[in-house]
Parts: sequence; structure tokens; C-alpha cells
Amino acid sequence: MSIGIILCQYGKDCQDQELTSLSGKLERNKYTDYLYSDQHFLMPLLRFEQSDLKCKNGCDYFGNPQWQGYCSKCHREQMSRQRRAEKASSATLPKPEQKKADHGLKLTARSSFSKFEEKRQRQSETLKKANLLKFTVFKKSSTDDHDHTPEKRPPEFKIPSMVNDGMKQDFRARFPNLPPQVDRDSRVFVHTFIMDVMKCASVMTVDELSERVQRQYQRFMKHMDTSQHFANVEPDTKEQLMDFVEKHAMTYLHDLPSIVFSPIGTDDERADRAMSERIQQLSWVGERHLECKLDRNSASCRQLLYKAISELLSMDSAASPGGKLRQVRRCCRHVLALCGRDGAPASADDLLPALIFTVLKANPPRLVSNINFVTRFCNAQRLMTGEGGYYFTNLCCAVSFIENLTAESLNMDKKEFDCYMAMPASIGGSSWAAALLLCGVEREANEQRAAAQKAREQLQDLQHRADRLAADSHSFEEQISKKVQDVLSKTPLEIKPRRELPRIGKLREISSTPLIDLDTSTSEDTRPLQDVTDSRQPSQSNGNAFIQDSQVEPQTQSSKPVTATEDTEKLNILGFEVIDKPSPTKSPQTIDQPWDLKQTSSLELLTPSPLGYTPFDSRSIDELMTPDEFGADHLAPGLGNINYDIDLSDFSGDNSIAEDAPKPEAKDPFSPDVLKKQMFDPFAPQPQPESLNSILEKFDEFSLTYTGNKTLDPFEIVHRGADPFSPPGFTGSLPQNSSRDPFSPVQNESTSILDHNESPTAASLLPSPLQPQSSEKPS
Amino acid sequence: MAREFDHLFKLLIIGDSGVGKSCLLLRFADNTFSGSYITTIGVDFKIRTLEINGERVKLQIWDTAGQERFRTITSTYYRGTHGVIVVYDVTNGESFANVKRWLHEIEQNCDVVNKVLVGNKNDCPSRKVVVTEDAQRFASQMNIPLFETSAKENINVEEMFLTITKMVLRSKLEMKERQNVTSNDTVNLKKNHKTKKKCC
Repeated sequence: MSIGIILCQYGKDCQDQELTSLSGKLERNKYTDYLYSDQHFLMPLLRFEQSDLKCKNGCDYFGNPQWQGYCSKCHREQMSRQRRAEKASSATLPKPEQKKADHGLKLTARSSFSKFEEKRQRQSETLKKANLLKFTVFKKSSTDDHDHTPEKRPPEFKIPSMVNDGMKQDFRARFPNLPPQVDRDSRVFVHTFIMDVMKCASVMTVDELSERVQRQYQRFMKHMDTSQHFANVEPDTKEQLMDFVEKHAMTYLHDLPSIVFSPIGTDDERADRAMSERIQQLSWVGERHLECKLDRNSASCRQLLYKAISELLSMDSAASPGGKLRQVRRCCRHVLALCGRDGAPASADDLLPALIFTVLKANPPRLVSNINFVTRFCNAQRLMTGEGGYYFTNLCCAVSFIENLTAESLNMDKKEFDCYMAMPASIGGSSWAAALLLCGVEREANEQRAAAQKAREQLQDLQHRADRLAADSHSFEEQISKKVQDVLSKTPLEIKPRRELPRIGKLREISSTPLIDLDTSTSEDTRPLQDVTDSRQPSQSNGNAFIQDSQVEPQTQSSKPVTATEDTEKLNILGFEVIDKPSPTKSPQTIDQPWDLKQTSSLELLTPSPLGYTPFDSRSIDELMTPDEFGADHLAPGLGNINYDIDLSDFSGDNSIAEDAPKPEAKDPFSPDVLKKQMFDPFAPQPQPESLNSILEKFDEFSLTYTGNKTLDPFEIVHRGADPFSPPGFTGSLPQNSSRDPFSPVQNESTSILDHNESPTAASLLPSPLQPQSSEKPS
Repeated sequence: MAREFDHLFKLLIIGDSGVGKSCLLLRFADNTFSGSYITTIGVDFKIRTLEINGERVKLQIWDTAGQERFRTITSTYYRGTHGVIVVYDVTNGESFANVKRWLHEIEQNCDVVNKVLVGNKNDCPSRKVVVTEDAQRFASQMNIPLFETSAKENINVEEMFLTITKMVLRSKLEMKERQNVTSNDTVNLKKNHKTKKKCC
């Protein structure tokens, strides 16, 4: 027998050889063509020896760079070895060259063809190993073997850690009370078991292997009985442990091709196909042929049959023998229910025909392989006893009945039987097929309905939540509005004082006529344009001023007396500017000095008002004072402001211009500026404004930060626009008071232009200098 | 060890279809009769534990399909079977005639197995066809104990099952003893062998 196998094998080898030689020739042809085409360039290539083109394995065929220098056959072998090594996820590294080569090929490794290829390869190899090793006559194959054995063995014997981990987890889940030694023992057993099977699978026949596996099971049983680790384990638990061990070992082995499931050397696969075809052919066999009392018009009957069939079909997907048995058991329970529907005791007389009918209608995939797998590798003890064993035995009977089915076994005429068998498979059993299809559709419909129901519930839930959210948001809105109203009712102050324009108007009138003109003009311009910015501008500017005020005042205390709140505030504004950038601010201060008289007058006028309206007056004062100053400084602060803007934005190119302008001015007026500061400071400590300031600060800080973001970009623009103005403005205005008047309108125009162009930018741009405008606007 | 049984035996009930195998089984396992009683599912596979001579014996009884056409395929049922109950219907002569074939079947599938012959439906003398004497003669000829039972009336069912269980248990114990004896022998032989080797 072995010789026969060898011959077969040899024949196969020969075929392969022919193929490889063919491919080799093709390869050479290609090569020569190549040589001829570019002869002069490739002349050195002719130095290639024949041996260079040969397979690396030295098997006398031509290699191919695409196959890493192997011939097609050797390459394929190499590949399959590689794949198996990967499958076993071994730690052993293949040859470096192979590793490189495999990179591109890993992708294809999962294809079914490669699987088939691998299987075929395995078959040939194992046979070789088993039988051929002795016969050195077949030189090639033996040399191949020599090459393979050292590499191939170790990877196969590595068991992926997955198995171990899975066992650990499962053990913990199923036997939480058992000691860890039991866990360890069972894992060790599974490990040795798998190793043993892998080792023997290639050498032994299936029956031998099956026996060996059974002996392993017995060994474990004995171990459980004798080992002290298992001394306290209940016999029932022992059985469960047995199942547990079997499950894990077999689940792993099941997925390895051709080891235990439809192994090589058996014709399980062919039997599967034959069985499947036969069942298809027998699709015409109905319930009356088998004398089972099934009514396809009864919905419950259909349902039960459908369930039984689906359980039977899922047997193939279970990996362990235990799992397969479980599926069979479930299937048979449904079948039994089918038999015992009409109150009569369900007996084996009914069960078997019904089961046969079920199998015929189900046509389960790989039925024979599955049955053989279970009979060979399931713990024999369980197959012979227990419910699962009983049902499995019935299934085996059913299958063998179908295999040997004749006219007699169906109690029908031979001719009729032949007639039926000659009929195309698609015709027969259509009624039952329809009934079952109906079942399937029904089940699907049920599932769909369930899903729809679920979806509807979800939707309702969602709706409910949405409603709640809406209610929440509504209540939140109400709360907020109430709070806002509360706050507003508590502090209704903000807007009123600013609207006290008449005073401002008076002040203006009193302070300086030219200034008034300017201011009014600007206010007229800006008011309609910047409704939004109006409110912001003053607050911002004031805030700045106040903050600075508080900071500056303690530092510089000087002797300047009462003068006016205006002055201090002016100073503050200036101070603010100073702090941010000293150079531009100096200019207004210098201007201020000569204008003292004016200021004082304005201050005098102003002072009464702040006293009367405490919080707002302070603001109004700020605003008020600014116009006064502005009248004088109008140009200068505007310019200074521009410069200040530039500095903030830190645009080097612009800065250069900006810096140039203020510097010359600064030299002269700088000292006076300082003096002024000193003079103003003593005034600042005045209780009223400070306390107010502190309150306002909080408010204004916010506005400051808020506007701060927006301002950055616009600054740039404004600055550019202002640049042309600033140099003349500075130079001219600072030393000469007269220059204010001509310039101020220009400035106003410029601002108004800015406003027109970008109202928010303008607002943010001109905090300090434009204060007068803003103050006017509120009115 | 707290095991709920000392022995587990697998028994097989065979016989023509319709002789009342399932009813016998049902009567024994559940002490019910199915004529008017809707049974629970799974009659064919029943387990019952008996106590014989202080030893707890778990019986696992497999029902088989008795139809003629399934006869050739029932060999798988015999695997690991300890005892077989062959049933015929006393009101059906043909079923008794088939007993021979069934016994032949058993011989083919198992080497040594305990058997009992059971004439069921022995509750209506008027319909009785198979005379007790004929059956007894046949049974003693084959060296098989005979029981005439009625699952319906619960006559002789318990006794029949007890008898087969005792038979199975006895043969098992005997086998064990024999095994012990043989194992002792081998040990002795081995020892002899060893000493011989040493001598050499």
C-alpha cells in the first residue's frame, strides 16, 4: 500500500517537475529575448553562469527572482512552510531571505487557493515523511525533506498563547472555585495534548490518531482521579473539566486544516460532497415516504422543523466535538417536540424518521466530516452515554440511512423510486421548501418587527429626552431672564448718566468753543453709524483709564492740587497710554500743561455733577474731561493713540515709522510730562472715583478683554490709515496749539471714515482719544 | 467521593415498531403511561437510578427505532451497551417471530451482553396470541430470562428492569474480578521474567 502511495506521490512530483521545467524554459526564453534586445548594454550579463539561474535549492530547475531565486515548486514549498510557521505564530524566525520575500506575499496567504495549496503540500510532505524517507532512490524528494525537516518542525509545535489565555479566562469564568493548580494542570494537559496530536498527525492514520486522542482523554481522567490537586473536586466537576479540556484542545486543532477535521488520508471531503449531492437528489422525499406525522400546513410544525434545521446547520460552525454534540442535541429536542405534538409518546420509532426528514431538508454542510470528527475525537465515554450521545447516535443512523436509501427503505416501488431519482433535484420537495422558506421569512419578519419595535422605543426615548431638553432649556431661559431682570432691577444705573448730555454740552460750551465744534461734529457723525459701538467705547476707555489710574496713582504722588477730576482722569487716560507706550502719551501731556487753565475751568464746572450722580458722574467726568482735553490735544491724543496701536500690533515696519514720530516730540515735552503726572497723582486718591473705579473696573475689565480680541486685526488697518496723518499731526500739533484746530477736523474725518468703513474696528481702535466722542454719543 | 451513583449502565430496548418499547420505558422511568398522559419531551432517552445490594446503579436506557427499514443501520446504538431488552407484542405473532432476527442482530454487534426477552401488552388475555409456553420454551432455549409485562397496567415492568440491571451488575463485577486475577498473573509473570533476566 505504501508503495502505491509513493508511486502516486512520485507521479505528482513528476507533474510538478514538468510544470517547473516548463516555467523554467519560459523564463529562459524571456531572458534571452531580453538579451537580444539590448545586446550591447547587457553583454556583461552573459557572464551569468547557468547555475546562477538555477533554483537556490539546487533542484536543477531554473529559479526566478520573483520567487526569490527558487523554482516554482521550491518557492511554493517555502511559502507554505512560512505560512504554517505564521499560523503557529512561532517565535522561531525563518531564514532572513525568506522573511524579506514573504512581505509581499502575506497578503495572498489567506486566499482559499493558498489554503488548498497548503493542504496539498502537507499531504505530500507527510506522506513523504512517513514513507519516503527510507527510499533514497527518489533523490529529489529526499533532499527536499532534508531541507524541510529542521525548519518545519519547530514552528508547528508552537501553540499560540491565545489558546492558553483563552483557557485561563474560560477557566476563571466556569470554575471560579477550583484551585489554581487545577487550572494549571488542565492547561498543561491541553498543551501536551495539542503537541502530541500535532506530532502524530503527520505520521499516524486517522484511526490511530483517534485512539491516541482517546488514550489522552483517559490519561487525563486518570490524572484527575489520582492527582491530589483534584482531590476535592466533585466527580461532576471532573466531567465538566474533561469537557473543558476537550473543548479547548479540539477547538484549536479543529481550525488547523487537515489535522483532525476531515484529515488527510480520509475521503471525508469527498464524502461530504457526495452526501450533499445525494441529499439534494433526495429532496423529493416527503413526510409520507418516511411515515412521519408532519403537517406542513401547521404553523407550529413548520416552526419546530425550521428551528431543528437551523440548529443542525449550525453544527458545522461549532469547533469542538462537545459543541457539535450540543447542537445535535438541540436539534433533536426540536425534532422530538415535533414528534410528540399530538400527545402520543414520542418514541424512537418516530424520532428517527423525523430526524432523517430534518437532515434531508437541512442538507447540512460538511455533514460526514462533522460526524467523523465527533466520532473520532469526542471523548468516547460521552458518545456512548448521555443524551448527546443518544441523539448523535440517532443522527449517525439517519445519515447512514440516507446513504443507503433504496426503494425498499421508503416502502415504494422501484420504478417509482428511479423515476424520482432521475428527476432534477430542483423540482422535488418544493412544497416543503416553500413551507420552510415561509418559516424563514416569518422569522425574518419577526426579527424585523422586533428591530422596528426596538427602534420605535428608542425613538420614543429620544423624543422624550428631546422634550425634556426643550423644557429644560425653556426653564433655563426663564431663569436666566429672571436673573437678568433681577440684576437689572438691582442695578438699573448704567445707561442713565451717559444720557445727561445737556451737562456735557454745557461743559463743552464752557470749556472751549473749537473743541465743542469738533466734538459735536464727531458725535453727529458717529452716533448714527455706531450704535453698537457707542456703548462699548466709553466703557472700554473708561475702564482702561480707571485701571491705569489705580495703578499709576500710588506710584507717582505729586503736589498738584485740586485742579480737577478731569485732569486726573485725563492723566489716567494718559497714564494708561504711558504705561502701554510711553512715547506717544507724552505728547498729549505736554500739551496739557499749557492748557491747565482751561482744564481747571472745566473741572470746576464738572465737579458738581459727579457729586450729585455718583457712579455715573465719574464716568461722565471721564468723558467730560476728555472733550476738554481733546479740544486742546485733539490731534495729539489721536496721534498718540495711533502710535500706541501700532506698538500693540507690533508690526515692525509700521513701528519704525511710529517710533520715529513720537521720539522727537518726546525729548522736549518729556520732562513736563513727568511733572504733570506727579501733579495729577495726588488728585487721584480721591475716594469717590476710586471706589467707583473699583466697581467699574470689574465691569470694564470684561469689556476690555472682550474687545481685545477683536481689536488686534483692525489695529493694523487703522494704523496704516493713520500713519500718513500722524507724522504731521505729531510734529505740528504738539508744539503748536494752533495746529490743533486745523488738525482736529482732519482727525475727526479720519475717524469718521474709519467708522464708516469698519465700525467695530474704529470703536476698538480709538479707546482713549475718542473718549470725548463716546461721551457725547450716549446723549 | 460524593458521587450520586456507583455504576452507570447503558441499556438498549429493541423490538419491532409498535410493540410498546417507549411505553415500557416511560412506565419505568417516569412511572406513567402515555395512553392518556401527554408526556414530557425526550422519552427515548431516560435515566433512572436504582439501588441494588447497596450499590447505586444509574440506568440509561436508549430507545431505538424498530421499523424494518432501520434495522440495518442500528448498529451504532450497540456501542458500549451493557444490556439489551428485546421486546415483542404478545398480541402480535409477527413481532415474536422477529425476535430471532433481533437476537441475531445483537450477536452481530456485541460480543457478550446481557439480554432479557419481554412480551409486552400482556393485559388483555383475549387478544393474546403468543402463548406463554412457546415464549418460555424459546427463552430457555436461548438462555434468556422471559418476562411478560404490561406497561399499561404496570405489570412486571419494575421486576424486568431490576432483573436486567442485576444481571448487568453481576457480569460487570465478575469481569472486574477476572481482570484483577489476570492482572495479578501478569505481574507474576513479569517478575519471573525479570529474575530470569538477572540470572542470565
